[in-house]
Amino acid sequence: MSIKIGVPRGMYFYKYYPFTKAFLTELGAEMVPSPQTNKEILDMGSRYCIDDACLPVKVYHGHVQYLKDKVDYMLIPRLTSVVPREYICPKFGGLPEMVKFSLPELPQIIDVEIDLYKRKSNLIKALYAVGKRFTSNPYLIKRAAAKAAKELNIYENTLLQGCLPGKYMNETDIPVSNNGPLIGIATHPYLLYDSFINMKLLEKLSNKGIKFLLPEMLDKKVIEEKCSVLGKRMFWSSSKDLIGSALYMMDNSKIDGILMLTSFGCGIDSLSIDLIERLGRKTYRKPFMVITLDEHTGDANFNTRLEAFLDLVYRREMM
Amino acid sequence: MKLTYPHMGEAYIAAKAMFDDLGIESIIPPFSTQSTLRLGAKESPESVCLPFKIMLGNYVRSIEEGADTIVITGSCGPCRFGYYGPLQKLILEDMGYDVDMIILDPPREGINKFFQNIKKLSGGESHKSFKVFLSAYKVCEQIDKLNEIQYFVRPRAKDKAKINSIMHRFRSQVLYAKGSKEISDLIEKTMDQLLTLDIDMEMKPIKIGIIGEIYTIIDPFSNLNAEDRLGDMGAEVHRSMTVRDWAENNLIKPLKREKPYKLEKELSKPYLPVLIGGHTQQCIGHAVNYARSGYDGLIQIYPMSCMPEIVSRSILPQIEKDYGIPILYLIVDEQTGEAGYQTRLEAFYDYVENRRRRQSSSKQAQST
Repeated sequence: MSIKIGVPRGMYFYKYYPFTKAFLTELGAEMVPSPQTNKEILDMGSRYCIDDACLPVKVYHGHVQYLKDKVDYMLIPRLTSVVPREYICPKFGGLPEMVKFSLPELPQIIDVEIDLYKRKSNLIKALYAVGKRFTSNPYLIKRAAAKAAKELNIYENTLLQGCLPGKYMNETDIPVSNNGPLIGIATHPYLLYDSFINMKLLEKLSNKGIKFLLPEMLDKKVIEEKCSVLGKRMFWSSSKDLIGSALYMMDNSKIDGILMLTSFGCGIDSLSIDLIERLGRKTYRKPFMVITLDEHTGDANFNTRLEAFLDLVYRREMM
Repeated sequence: MKLTYPHMGEAYIAAKAMFDDLGIESIIPPFSTQSTLRLGAKESPESVCLPFKIMLGNYVRSIEEGADTIVITGSCGPCRFGYYGPLQKLILEDMGYDVDMIILDPPREGINKFFQNIKKLSGGESHKSFKVFLSAYKVCEQIDKLNEIQYFVRPRAKDKAKINSIMHRFRSQVLYAKGSKEISDLIEKTMDQLLTLDIDMEMKPIKIGIIGEIYTIIDPFSNLNAEDRLGDMGAEVHRSMTVRDWAENNLIKPLKREKPYKLEKELSKPYLPVLIGGHTQQCIGHAVNYARSGYDGLIQIYPMSCMPEIVSRSILPQIEKDYGIPILYLIVDEQTGEAGYQTRLEAFYDYVENRRRRQSSSKQAQST
């Protein structure tokens, strides 16, 4: 029987899912992802995690708690930096520790550090460190890494063409509508693709016949170019994606409105959203709304705000 | 050019000494008050951390007094502090203030820019600025000594009001002292005054270490004078980070090619093996250090939603268990109320003192 490796469905799960899956499967291990976030997982997360952590971290704790008795190993990578000279967020770097010291009786954790701040080749070292647990043959690890990189490339290209991760993973498929207003949604992948914590936002929009543009559908070059208006180089890759895509959405005349999702207590967003507002408001007049999510967000008030926003978009179209 | 800089505890004394020596006119922002904070909070993003709001308030107050250039240090992540400067500049512009902002990023972010900034600051006399920097560093060392005397004297003093009046006099006189020489004389004088106070040498106060986010532990306004409050109750406090400590590890050690924060990194290794940003490793390292040096309790202070300290906050319970040391977690923001804060400090003091008494009596019972 192959070794079972738990992969919690939180944080950058949707960003690196194909990579993780291909790499682990190729090494002969079985990847066990946790199910979609549900009430039980969220409650467990907020019970075990410290109070003032942000929503995605709490959700992550819930997923780890759900998986812990079902697997042999738990994969909680320490994603210090995934782009050279850029960090993600201190909480990504300290994630293995936060989980380790908050949840009791965990299986063995694979907390490999992925730190590409100084050089990209650190990724190879990290992959060998993980691979060594399963096989002593370096060629197998190399093959697995190459396959994983290929899969990730395919996945990113699919997303770039407007496909959602749910469809790629054969889990859920949201029919994307072809006409109607186009709305840009700028947010982090862990809020965007977790349909439980964002109150099924994408599904709701599709049902109303609204098209949407997501940060993953934008070319990296576009994001890079838009970020050059900042006075200082942006040293968080997560914030760069957010600011770059939001500014692109403001600039593109095809887009009728911009929606931003943020989680309560997100340190990166507290600065990024203000930067976007201050940089964008002077030049552009477009409906722009920020919705803050936390574990107490209710469906009813979320709908009210979404409808108000959409009304604004429709009214502008008529004018 | 009229320079100004934000407040961070006693940092203004060293900064004043430095700019006086360089012959640059600088304006010390009026001391932070509730109205400074309200002013800053009104214009800041809602969920940004407390230091951002206080600093913004400081700038506005200084600009009102005539400052036209703001100088702050910078960094490049992963903590939010690195992006304070650019956003605060945008906010000030939107408020209608046209000021120049000099952000001193670390040299590895571009050595040319760094030297340009230094040149701009020192008015072309770069060789002089190094000497001036060293004498400012000496002032920092003296301030640390002054604080340590205060930590020792305050719980033991019979008349605590006298300490307050000495310190109050010091704070008002230092504004009029010119240059590092006068300032260090004044500090010496204040130290002598504190040492002549009538103290109870028999007393064995409980020892409390203060750890957490650097700004909120150094700046007494942001932590509602936690050190003085605890001292008045009768606890000997020690603060893990100071301005001197910051300057030593960030400016002097890199020049000498030494590794900064060696002890803290060593001690925090079992809990957090790598650097993740902010002062997480230092916080954990200091907690272990205090616990091993026989402190009776620890207080972690950090601003609401501080990213690095949330990580240390989730690790600290393990240190609590491993070393059997109680830790109080205090989160501060613009909503922090004084009464609730005082109650929590008192409760913690009582708990720690009781605990020590119980432990020593059970030890006595064992030995007899």
